[in-house]
Amino acid sequence: MKDFDIQHIAKLARLKVSQEEAAQFEQEMSGIVEMVEHLPAIDGALEVSVDNAMQLREDEVRPSMEREAILANAPSQEAGCFLVPKIVE
Amino acid sequence: MELFELTASALSEKLRRGECSSVEATQSVLSRIQATEDKVHAYVTLDGEKALAAAEETDRLRAAGESLPPLAGVPIGIKDNICTKGLRTTCSSKMLHNFVPPYNATVMEKIYANHMVVLGKLNMDEFAMGSSCETSYFGPTKNPQNLDYIPGGSSGGSAAAVAAGEAYVTLGSDTGGSIRQPSGCCGVVGLKPTYGAVSRYGLIAFASSLDQIGPLGRSVDDVAMLYDVICGHDERDATSARREYAPVYGNLDASVQGMTIGLPKEYFGEGIEEEVKTAVLAAAEELRRQGAVLKEISLPSTDYALPAYYIISSAEASSNLARYDGIKYGYRAAEFDNLIDLYETTRSEGFGREVKRRIMLGTFVLSSGYYDAYYKKAKLTQQRIAAEFDAAFADCDVILTPAAPSTAFRLGERIGDPLKMYAADLCTVPVNIAGLPAMVQPCGRAKNGLPIGLQLIGAKFSEKTLLGVGKAYETATGAFGVAAVK
Amino acid sequence: MRNEMDYEVVIGLETHAELSTATKIFCGCKNEFGGEPNSHCCPVCTGMPGTLPILNKKVVEYATRMGLALDCKINQVCKQDRKNYFYPDLPKAYQISQFDIPLCENGHLDIVVGGQTRRIGVTRIHIEEDAGKLQHEEEFGGSLVDYNRCGVPLIEIVSEPDLRSAEEAKAYLEMLKQILQYLDISDCKMQEGSIRCDVNVSVRRRGETAFGTRCEMKNVNSFSAAYRAIEFEAKRQIHILERGGTVEQETRRWDDVKGQSTVMRTKEDAQDYRYFPEPDLMTIIVTDEELQRYREEMPELPGAKYRRYTEELGLPAYDAGILVESATRARFFDECLRIGGCKPKAVSNWLLGDILKVLNELDRDIADTPLTPARLVELIKLIDAKTISNTAGKTVLDAIIAEDKDPAAIVKEKGLAQISDASALEGIVDEVLAANQKSVEDYRAGKTNALGFLMGQAMKASRGQGNPQMFRELLLKKLG
Ligand SMILES: [Mg+2]
Ligand SMILES: [Zn+2]
Repeated sequence: MKDFDIQHIAKLARLKVSQEEAAQFEQEMSGIVEMVEHLPAIDGALEVSVDNAMQLREDEVRPSMEREAILANAPSQEAGCFLVPKIVE
Repeated sequence: MELFELTASALSEKLRRGECSSVEATQSVLSRIQATEDKVHAYVTLDGEKALAAAEETDRLRAAGESLPPLAGVPIGIKDNICTKGLRTTCSSKMLHNFVPPYNATVMEKIYANHMVVLGKLNMDEFAMGSSCETSYFGPTKNPQNLDYIPGGSSGGSAAAVAAGEAYVTLGSDTGGSIRQPSGCCGVVGLKPTYGAVSRYGLIAFASSLDQIGPLGRSVDDVAMLYDVICGHDERDATSARREYAPVYGNLDASVQGMTIGLPKEYFGEGIEEEVKTAVLAAAEELRRQGAVLKEISLPSTDYALPAYYIISSAEASSNLARYDGIKYGYRAAEFDNLIDLYETTRSEGFGREVKRRIMLGTFVLSSGYYDAYYKKAKLTQQRIAAEFDAAFADCDVILTPAAPSTAFRLGERIGDPLKMYAADLCTVPVNIAGLPAMVQPCGRAKNGLPIGLQLIGAKFSEKTLLGVGKAYETATGAFGVAAVK
Repeated sequence: MRNEMDYEVVIGLETHAELSTATKIFCGCKNEFGGEPNSHCCPVCTGMPGTLPILNKKVVEYATRMGLALDCKINQVCKQDRKNYFYPDLPKAYQISQFDIPLCENGHLDIVVGGQTRRIGVTRIHIEEDAGKLQHEEEFGGSLVDYNRCGVPLIEIVSEPDLRSAEEAKAYLEMLKQILQYLDISDCKMQEGSIRCDVNVSVRRRGETAFGTRCEMKNVNSFSAAYRAIEFEAKRQIHILERGGTVEQETRRWDDVKGQSTVMRTKEDAQDYRYFPEPDLMTIIVTDEELQRYREEMPELPGAKYRRYTEELGLPAYDAGILVESATRARFFDECLRIGGCKPKAVSNWLLGDILKVLNELDRDIADTPLTPARLVELIKLIDAKTISNTAGKTVLDAIIAEDKDPAAIVKEKGLAQISDASALEGIVDEVLAANQKSVEDYRAGKTNALGFLMGQAMKASRGQGNPQMFRELLLKKLG
């Protein structure tokens, strides 16, 4: 079985993973990762395709949305803003 | 025959001739829902009142002599990952259990502009991750053909609603088979359009480079009608294709005379149940009888599609689902110590296991030191798979395969074994990987009575050809109609 | 202890400049500073489920223009990537940026410090979106998040570690700012945070070729802060080395009020941004035609302008330096010369003298006043033609700015024209001589300073409008 640093991945993903869950994740993930390791080696670079050119947007102002609508789903708001726990770094 | 049992195209015709009203059709479907929904559980949110109001409005317009589009007044159900302004959109997740979008998806604007009657939002696997509709926070949907079985997923609600007569047509979304595999399980017709044919604006993303919205219905014509409504370039979606879309419905060439139909041997190998193989090959034989040429072909990298799919889709999902953090919308944990704890607790409580598993996998394959070994390798594999399809379409008009390796499995049978669950998408995943259109329709039943589906795969933007072939087959063999739901 | 002079400081800068487009980078919301919190927002820039970005054409154009100005290679086929990290000011939890293929790379920028020109390498310029703003509010027991700034277009300009002093870093930043202004692609309003930078600093013994361990300083919000942060950090690192320690690679936060930096992150908890190609966007193409057009439309940049002013126009280095410092001022100056009929030095004297003084008093930019190049040229011509005196010229300048009128009209209205009619002046001189017999006698007795008094009387009698030169000649003649 592959050696995953499950707690490190969980930290990157902002998830809490219990010991028991970690063991399960590890087992399931290694199954998939092993499948990938059986993929044949393919040389080459991931090229940016000119065929997939996109149309850019003209720099024209469109109406914004009412603030009430922007905030309507927020679990916590104050003074027209989203409220989050105090940020300490 | 009750109104709810009609196909959408038949109802459209009746409405046009004034033989029934949209309100009558809507009431018929609503009472069908009342009768069967307890067993099927296709809907997450029903909005009967608004549906009736919309139906009344269409009837009023029709009475006033307005010329209305073909699907005007036809009741439709919407997969719950498509944003509906003012109508809760949950992705069947605790994370979005209370999310009410302040805007409409582009497809919804089109649905409303066509005066369709929106019945409500349909159940799905959480964030469209799953093949059985069992990962929904709101509980599983059952297969109307046999309630002990899964309806397939992730658009399980969309397929089950159509099969049970709880909607005339529905919208689903397909990232690795999420329209087609449940269509096969429930015995309905489902189309996964070419990547870029239908706007993704307002479709809550699972894997952006693979997701595509598509129609489900009880006949090929129904699917064609709804496809006509939703396809088209959208300036709000940079991945939407800039091209003209001529109407398909009414212009289908239901003949396969002289067509070459490819049968890729990799789709008829070991992993496929005998019953399924037999039924799909019989369907091929029917098309040959109608004048098509059958050709055995090979798509050698088929086996690599599934691992490539899990890497690419999980990588994109890990990023797409990072925004659910308890700050702007949706679930927020009740207790937390600080900001990081708010993030972690909210996400751990708000997401189900399958979603977390994919976020973890996606985070891993993108993390420092692993990108080349996994993500890049998967993307290169994707290019190879697409190239093999391209080469195949030089010789074939369409490719015919099973919709899935087996018929629907029992509820709970695979939920503990992700790799087994993932195998259900074996036949459908390569199509998303290559960005192609594909359609599934019923082609008989297994001994246990469950439907078997065939899949038609076409070159990019060949939806009309696919629907034409599908209609030729359907005309000869008949569609399934509404399931009894016992 | 060794002298700090034994060490060389090595600096690299990552500068973020907000582009002055009308709309945000991925949606049609106004790109405008300020406003009520969360009032310039839509589902796209607040990262609502299901929304998708559409790239603003002007952002690619502006960034490409900047790339050309810094002699970069333009990657005409490029893409955007996602940079993933969690922070409340980033609603999607990823920033759409560019990773392996920046729009522009391998450029350079010449700076002049202490009379020496130094060429500073520019590694890359890429486009990305700005994040929202956090406000730490005690009264709500938390932090407030405002997404107005979310999606404001940024270019990130990354320099090579070619800068060797705080002085040079400041000159580099000043020059970047000037170029952004010349291209008219950024407001460069420091107080609104439209230019911000991250500063990478390392030190090494003079003569060494390998780089020392570097530290990155965040939260550097002005050029003078950059200067102070570099000085502080260089001293800190030298101090560590002098005591036999080793500098740890870390990210530090600069506190400009306290004048010191503190550790934010050590190397161990370095961020893993998990970059991957943005699947919601397709390929960005800059066509040959666009590139050609941007090249043709490239304005004369401050370096070239400075050389032209000093070498071709013969302006003193001081004048040239101040003229090019501001894009609007240099543009104004060039327009005056284009209109013609006035000497460059005369225009420069006005611009750097009285005009600068008035503008400073009013705290306004020259472009925001009624003073136009045409009006200044007209004013200078009036003086050159002796229609008005220099003193009256200043009155006219004030009136142009205050009343928004043309110089000729002001001269007429205020009766500022000099009297150059010989017979009129002769009459005045005669009256003055008659009324001041004492002074006439004094002059004739050899007290030549009496002439000054008589001049003054004549000017006074003409209410300041007599041509002083002619008065002088007439007086001398009559005093014989
Ligand atoms: Mg940056
Ligand atoms: Zn916006």
